[in-house]
Amino acid sequence: MISTKNITFSYNKEQSFILPDLHCDAGSTILITGDSGKGKTTYLHILAGLLHPTTGAITIDDTDIVTLSESKNDKFRGQNIGIVFQKSHFVSALTVLENLEMASWLASGKKNSNRAKKLLEQLSITNQSDKLPNQLSIGQQQRVSIARALMNEPKVLLADEPTSSLDDKNAEKVIELLTSLSKENKAALIIVTHDSRIKEKFSNRITLV
Amino acid sequence: MIAKLAWRNIWFKPLNTILSIILLTSSVAIITVLVLLEKQFEEKFNSNIDGVDLVLGAQGSPLQLILSSVYQVDAPTGNISYDSAKVWMQHPFVKKAIPLAFGDNYRGYKILGTTTDYLEKYEAKISKGKVFEKNFEVVIGGEIAKKLNLKIGDEFFGSHGDAAEGEVHDHFSYKVVGIAEMTGRVVDNLILCTIPSVWEMHGSHEEEELHNPIHGEEGHRHEEGDEHLQHEHDHDEHSHHDDKEMTLDEKGMEITAVLLQFRNKMGIVTWPRIIAQNTKMQVASPAIEVNRLVSMFGIGIDALRYLAYGIMLISGISIFIALFNTLKERKNEFALLRVNGAKRHQLLILVMIESLLLCVVGFIFGTILGRIALMLISSSAEKDFKFSFNPYEFIWKKEGVLFLLTLFVGFFAALLPAIKAYQLNISKTLANA
Repeated sequence: MISTKNITFSYNKEQSFILPDLHCDAGSTILITGDSGKGKTTYLHILAGLLHPTTGAITIDDTDIVTLSESKNDKFRGQNIGIVFQKSHFVSALTVLENLEMASWLASGKKNSNRAKKLLEQLSITNQSDKLPNQLSIGQQQRVSIARALMNEPKVLLADEPTSSLDDKNAEKVIELLTSLSKENKAALIIVTHDSRIKEKFSNRITLV
Repeated sequence: MIAKLAWRNIWFKPLNTILSIILLTSSVAIITVLVLLEKQFEEKFNSNIDGVDLVLGAQGSPLQLILSSVYQVDAPTGNISYDSAKVWMQHPFVKKAIPLAFGDNYRGYKILGTTTDYLEKYEAKISKGKVFEKNFEVVIGGEIAKKLNLKIGDEFFGSHGDAAEGEVHDHFSYKVVGIAEMTGRVVDNLILCTIPSVWEMHGSHEEEELHNPIHGEEGHRHEEGDEHLQHEHDHDEHSHHDDKEMTLDEKGMEITAVLLQFRNKMGIVTWPRIIAQNTKMQVASPAIEVNRLVSMFGIGIDALRYLAYGIMLISGISIFIALFNTLKERKNEFALLRVNGAKRHQLLILVMIESLLLCVVGFIFGTILGRIALMLISSSAEKDFKFSFNPYEFIWKKEGVLFLLTLFVGFFAALLPAIKAYQLNISKTLANA
């Protein structure tokens, strides 16, 4: 469960955002849409604790992440928030499996190999697990990103334009995986997108203006 | 896990890594060799001078006199009359005087005529057998016994002069009666006998005018070879009528040098002038000459040392450039690690470890390479000067300092990139990606 209240943010005096409140229960999905420059990515970064809002509160289960110190925030994010980016980033020197293990090690101090293998299997990329990330296709990379975001059984799953660089078939598949896996893991799923292909699939939408 | 990631990262860009490691390795290797060489060289040189205050010998280069008579590495300056040397050897200032007469060689190992004081001076105990008493009895150094596999009772012929290819003196054979312990000093590589053996080997007193008994003077070898042919007959006669052994009391003989130890230290200061003014001989101080030699080497050693530090500086810069260049492409990785829960200081540590790992690897390779180089140097020095170095010695203090210096270079090279990683703005990085 994640909910926000009265969030405002400004990079500088000229550019400030007043962001609408949202509430998303575990297992359900919210779509955040809006044109470029309306603060979609900014909102997502605030929700992830990567940016500190000027005012407002963000509650994930019982924790207000705005009040956390930076290092507590890092830890909280690692354990409770999974993020899927538009373009997949990986630690390029580590294999796919090791990338997933790294995600769990950073959050909990343990390499959860079993969980990593199970996720890779669910996403049907087990045979790629010993490859380096840049040896995979873009569609496969995006699936690995989803697996990594889900490694620590997060309470919130954030996706930033997860489909924009994918073709129709892959886009559909990624959305399907995101929704089904977030339901299965009881995570609140928030997707930021301007991709019209997926807008129609979700009824719960917030549009930034 | 961070260390593992750091290890993977440095091998992900192998060319950068190898360049940095090669630079580090070569600078560490040069410094290691210098450190070991300098220490062992000084040790060897100093251990051989112990108990020798001055050396009395023929006029010429004092350094040459010291090198030839104390270290057995150079040709002697010439011969001196034993009778006139005795005057000084028996002087009340002198505590101990060890006469040396350069004889022949056996397979490149020098045969040195001397007294048993020589063995005592080098604290070379006889491990097998006894000391030489009669003429042509020899005590061989521990190193020779090992290398040439000689045993008590073995007999051999010497070759003339100091070249192993010299003419063989086959009318007298030397007999091994004792083997000295290894001492790590020059005596390990010497064959020692009585001085009269050297005299007798080269003919008795009567032949004196025709050829010089010992080999101090340069250019004397070839003539002597010819003479030997002419006097072959003579020699045979001599060996028959020379039933009475020659002794040190023989008159009119020559020796090569005398090692002097003083009772009265005044002598060390005053003798060089007195002897130069009153005789045709000279005395030289090993301490002064070795100092001179070391200071001559010193310029080269210093130059090498600066070169090595220069290379180390360059390797530091190379690590810095490699880390700084990849920082840009790795920004996303760093941001990602932060998103996954890594703290700022973990990124700082990651960059630091990468640099320090390079340094540790470079140091290990450098230490090994330095020792391999020393082994090679040692084997060639062994061949040319009978002088060997021990590559397995560790000088913990100096090499420890070198290790810390290497780490410091790594730390310094990584400082700026690590701070940049620490200060990374994740949101901005991800938004611009």
